[in-house]
Amino acid sequence: MRFRADIRNIHTFTKFTASLATLGHIAWVRLDNKDVRFTVIPDTGTQVWSVLTLDTIFDNYTIQSAAPNNTINLEVPLAVLQRALRSAQNANAASIRLTKKDNIPLLSLTITTETLRSSQPTATAPGQDHFAGNGTSSSINGFHPDGPSTDFREESVEFFGARQDRETVVTQDIPIRVLAAAAVEGLHEPRCRAPDVHIVLPNLVQLKTISDRFTKLALATKSGAGRSIGGFATQSATAGPKLELSANMHGCLRLALHTDSMHISSLWTGLENPELDPEQVSDGEDGLANHPSTRMKALGDSTGQHGEEGWATVRVEGRDWGRVLSVGRLGGRVIACFCNQHALILYVFLPAGEEVVVGGGESVLTYYISSYAA
Amino acid sequence: MTVLSFSLTPEATGRLTITALNLSKTAYAAFALDARTFFIDYDFSASSGAKSGDRFTCQLLNKALQSVFKGRSNEGRGRESAVERCDVSIQDQPDKTECRLIVKMLCKHGMTKFYRLTYESVEVMHALFDRTAANQGWRISSRVLREYIEFFGPKTEQLDLLAQEGKAVFTSFTEKVATGTEALKQPLETAISLHTGEFEDFHMQQDMHIVISVKDFKAIVTHAETLRAPISCHFSLPTRPLQFSYHNLGMHSEFTLMTTGDMRAASTTPNPQFVSNRGSSRQPSVIPAQATGRSASEMPPPPRPGISKPLLSQSQRTSAKAQVRQPSMTESDPDPESLFMPDGDEDPRWEPLNYEQDEGEEMLGWDANNEHPSQQTFRDSGTAARPPRRAEPSQEGLEPTQRLSQMHGMFD
Repeated sequence: MRFRADIRNIHTFTKFTASLATLGHIAWVRLDNKDVRFTVIPDTGTQVWSVLTLDTIFDNYTIQSAAPNNTINLEVPLAVLQRALRSAQNANAASIRLTKKDNIPLLSLTITTETLRSSQPTATAPGQDHFAGNGTSSSINGFHPDGPSTDFREESVEFFGARQDRETVVTQDIPIRVLAAAAVEGLHEPRCRAPDVHIVLPNLVQLKTISDRFTKLALATKSGAGRSIGGFATQSATAGPKLELSANMHGCLRLALHTDSMHISSLWTGLENPELDPEQVSDGEDGLANHPSTRMKALGDSTGQHGEEGWATVRVEGRDWGRVLSVGRLGGRVIACFCNQHALILYVFLPAGEEVVVGGGESVLTYYISSYAA
Repeated sequence: MTVLSFSLTPEATGRLTITALNLSKTAYAAFALDARTFFIDYDFSASSGAKSGDRFTCQLLNKALQSVFKGRSNEGRGRESAVERCDVSIQDQPDKTECRLIVKMLCKHGMTKFYRLTYESVEVMHALFDRTAANQGWRISSRVLREYIEFFGPKTEQLDLLAQEGKAVFTSFTEKVATGTEALKQPLETAISLHTGEFEDFHMQQDMHIVISVKDFKAIVTHAETLRAPISCHFSLPTRPLQFSYHNLGMHSEFTLMTTGDMRAASTTPNPQFVSNRGSSRQPSVIPAQATGRSASEMPPPPRPGISKPLLSQSQRTSAKAQVRQPSMTESDPDPESLFMPDGDEDPRWEPLNYEQDEGEEMLGWDANNEHPSQQTFRDSGTAARPPRRAEPSQEGLEPTQRLSQMHGMFD
């Protein structure tokens, strides 16, 4: 079993890992010839199933496995991976490989960085200009100032060799578990009925700020009602405040909080409801005509102020929703699919890299959020 | 470190020294604050009846002092309670019933805060570190190290220092070995490989592992960085003490730490090789690779600035090197008094520790006289004359537990 790759987009990888880490401690990572899949299935709360094309984060990707389809399944602790990646923020280069040390499987991250120049002894300075204009080299830094010029070539080879060694190498060993194919056989992406409403979400930063504010207000009013503050720390995700999220097929999104003492809501209008691709819908054109979203289109209006007709609504747990929205740092386009009173599915499409491979598929994170009863 | 010790010396050579020793007595920290540079005003007159002569020494609880000063640095920035000046005085007059260390903080708007701390007047012990015996070491900008200590995982426990092929390798690791799902809870193991050219000075035996605590190292580097001072590290061999030191702005800081580590690589090498950039500081980018492999007897390290003590003579130094080779010879010649049968070289590591024989050669010496705490040196006087006595450093009494590196020896 072999896996090795250069990391080409360290910032994307770090942010991606950070967003996943908010939802769970451990990710199931599936590597194969085509793509990399990260899946987080926490005990409670939102599941994430993500597919990254290889060139989103990797370069010079090598994989070799005895399992069918050249697949490697791993369990990776996300916080540790995130920490390891963070030390590569200013790296010149970083690569990752699967290895073993004392029989413990590891993902070893090797990071090469330039060090601060400040530590250099300044004594090299006098030699700096000695060979400038010699034409034979692009030397920038001082080497042996007294070196006879006949030795120059030899020395410069040594010099540049030494200069490369000068880079600092940081190795971060991430403990992991290798999963047998049988262990992951039973894991399937959740299935859901066709959504009633699909809509492009507004800027997630904005949405997150407002959502977090609502959640805070809900918590504050609850504690005002006489519950102990200490109790909240131990509350499970199911016990937290519920936010009501609704959308219609006329570009409206509404975030609302209802407690005993208040009703607040925010309304976005003029959002986009993307057209469904008939090829993606079962039964093609007929299926599209009978699609729930087509029926929802006939209801409601673009002001979102006239009654509850045409709205699909779900209730999400405030803090869990906040964690989901942390994916906003990746800056992708987000489509939310509402199954009324049932579930919310978010598709986060990562911005494509500089080279778009035609037909190479897209990197997409899929969040499955189930709705709570009112 | 629960107890802080204070010593005050007269104004001419005046300094306030604050020291602390941890409970297991494996780490010792000393901060000497210079009377003229560090303090606005320093006034000390020895009480006539004091038995300790012209010094004042006392001991107080670290927690008590910390609660007075902790977090004050943030108050300096235009806050209501900003401290404008801090006066510390000691009340030890015979006519007063209680001894107190009094901290007076003069704040804005004429507010004054008093803290009266109880101290215990005791003689202070100082750990002594023989720098002439610690002939290996390095010096590096604290900024460079500060940048890298961030990479060590928060839960790792130990730090391994190693010199290898022109590189200095710092590895943080944890000895706990977990299996199954627990394995995923293991902290990150981080190795940082720095070129010796990053160091202002570097001299360390190739392939020798010296192990200290990551937490100590992080704390030291973080503090050194706040003083913007380069850090010096001095050591000799694993299981011998190591010292970090740096000074700036009238504060001299020294940390003496006990080390563990793998002696085998160091002791079985018949001709120890050194990774060094000494004597080549003018061409740091070229020479280190060539200097690797030269033994120190061919290229004696130049006297380092800042060491006021006399260095060992050339012949002494050579013999100090020679003793590195000794263990392989003595290990086959075990203690004749031993009840255990000699059983190859596996045996010595199972020997009970022989405390008596080590007497008088511990590097951590204690000195209650403390006439000149910063100048006194505990000298391994026997180094040149009786090299065999230092030949079994891996069996010294200060080692708390068996080293992991020796574990595999059990069944092989």
